Amino acid sequence: MLEINNITVCYKERPTVKNFSLELKEGQIVSLVGESGSGKTTVIRSVLGLLPGGGRVTEGDILFEGKSLLQNTSDQWRRLRGTDISMIFQDSGAMLNPIRKIGDGFVEYIRIHEDISKKDAWEKGITMLEKMRLAGAENIMKSYPFQLSGGMRQRVGIAMAMTYEPRLLLADEPTSALDVTTQAQIVRQMLELRNSYGTSIIVVTHNLGVAAYMSDKIVVMKDGEIVDSGTRDHILNGGSCDYTKMLLDAVPSVGGVRYV
Amino acid sequence: MFDEKDLILEAKHVTRRFPASGGRELTACNDVNLKFYRGKTLGLIGESGCGKTTFMRFLVRLDVPTEGEILFKGKDLTKLKGEELRQIRKYIQMVFQDPGGSFNPKMKIRDIICEPLLNFGKIKPSEKDTVARKYLEAVELPADFADRYPHNMSGGQRQRIAIARAIALEPELIVMDEATCALDVSVQKTIIELICKLQKEKNIAIGFIAHDLGLIQSFAHQIAVMYLGNIVEILPGEDVDKARHPYTKTLLDAIFDTKMDFDKKIERIDSEIPSPLDVPVGCPFQTRCDHCMELCRRERPVLKNIGEGHEIACHLF
Repeated sequence: MLEINNITVCYKERPTVKNFSLELKEGQIVSLVGESGSGKTTVIRSVLGLLPGGGRVTEGDILFEGKSLLQNTSDQWRRLRGTDISMIFQDSGAMLNPIRKIGDGFVEYIRIHEDISKKDAWEKGITMLEKMRLAGAENIMKSYPFQLSGGMRQRVGIAMAMTYEPRLLLADEPTSALDVTTQAQIVRQMLELRNSYGTSIIVVTHNLGVAAYMSDKIVVMKDGEIVDSGTRDHILNGGSCDYTKMLLDAVPSVGGVRYV
Repeated sequence: MFDEKDLILEAKHVTRRFPASGGRELTACNDVNLKFYRGKTLGLIGESGCGKTTFMRFLVRLDVPTEGEILFKGKDLTKLKGEELRQIRKYIQMVFQDPGGSFNPKMKIRDIICEPLLNFGKIKPSEKDTVARKYLEAVELPADFADRYPHNMSGGQRQRIAIARAIALEPELIVMDEATCALDVSVQKTIIELICKLQKEKNIAIGFIAHDLGLIQSFAHQIAVMYLGNIVEILPGEDVDKARHPYTKTLLDAIFDTKMDFDKKIERIDSEIPSPLDVPVGCPFQTRCDHCMELCRRERPVLKNIGEGHEIACHLF
């Protein structure tokens, strides 16, 4: 479904991601793990054509359902983003306009992708929020982003991203700003999406525990390159390189290492 | 389990209420009693908004409680003023969550580390260079970092600088507010190792705020679990698996780690933490608890001892 062939991404002249390849099947969840600065976010941003200023894919190709994404015109991108491919950001609060109510933003988003009345768009928004198990959807639509907790904002972000049942969902550290309890809820929600819609998901995370729980395949990145990849069992049993073992060692676990 | 003569700070019946709109009151901390011992770490955990940061801010006197007292060396911190308060600040230091935001971006690392020492007249300005090098070494950073600015450093390095600044005055208590939460797991591990090493060398008491039980149990001697401003369970750091309170168990269930059972369903609560403005009568956890009884709705449970260093506030026990 998604095929990333040997891509190299450069900001100015410096390559940030080198020779990255990944294949994703329908309904598959893949995690990219690694430390900050390892190029995880750059990879998923290049899939959505959202590389920040000066960044571009200099080598290789990205194929989405057999079609190269790199040649897309801005018009083709607009039709793809938010419908076939969606993204969840680390802090969904930052993507919502702080001086407009959630409902306003949601309705605008729906009406850009679909020719329906404001009232229908509002109803559609409420249905989506309810599907995400958000209590008091009507109230949330009438709230400003700052009035919601981080976990609620994140679920609003997921509700928006899932409105058009995208075939590919990109999640950039969706839970790292959240409490452990909220994190568990968000993880469960993403798994439900996969089960009910067959959405393929790429998750970027530095939490190996979350990665291991969710994904069918884990890719370990370091300095812009893949250093290890494989199934959950392969990675958790130490993978095939020392870096994976070091990352595994660093994850605190109940009943694990005590330093005192 | 702790030696009472090592007791350095004691919070007694600390309550903090903030005025809210509509004449209501928000109770951020409700009758909190905690003790800090020399050379030991107290981990305070709970979800965001439960009042853990509010409590820790009292210890460094960034805020004062509405009721209750905080005894440090026999003096009540909440009543100190002026020079006396300034003098006590050198014994209690703090490390913040975001190391980037807690430095002046225009100051060099050398000046950042030495500022507290200069403030208390412990060193002469001419000694700055040697002193900065000494503390950079203590936190395992190259000595030539003294000439850098905070923005030239990575998050982990900045957090080490924050720790260097905190230990510069040889404090007896350091408060760390989610000091590793913004860092990668691998960096987090090295920071925790550093904190433990410094604690052993200097016999410092540490108050550590976190929301990850897996992390806190790896180095805390004592763990206090907070929910909606109330301490619901206090247990020894090595016995996290003996936790009994339904809320602590929820927190334990929510952890993802690499040794868990991956077929385990996530069943835990969907609900959000209730607003601290409408804390229900009775047990604060009643709205999210599976074992809620008639009694829980009526009467607030108090902490009672159920084992060595293990206290719990729950009607089930």
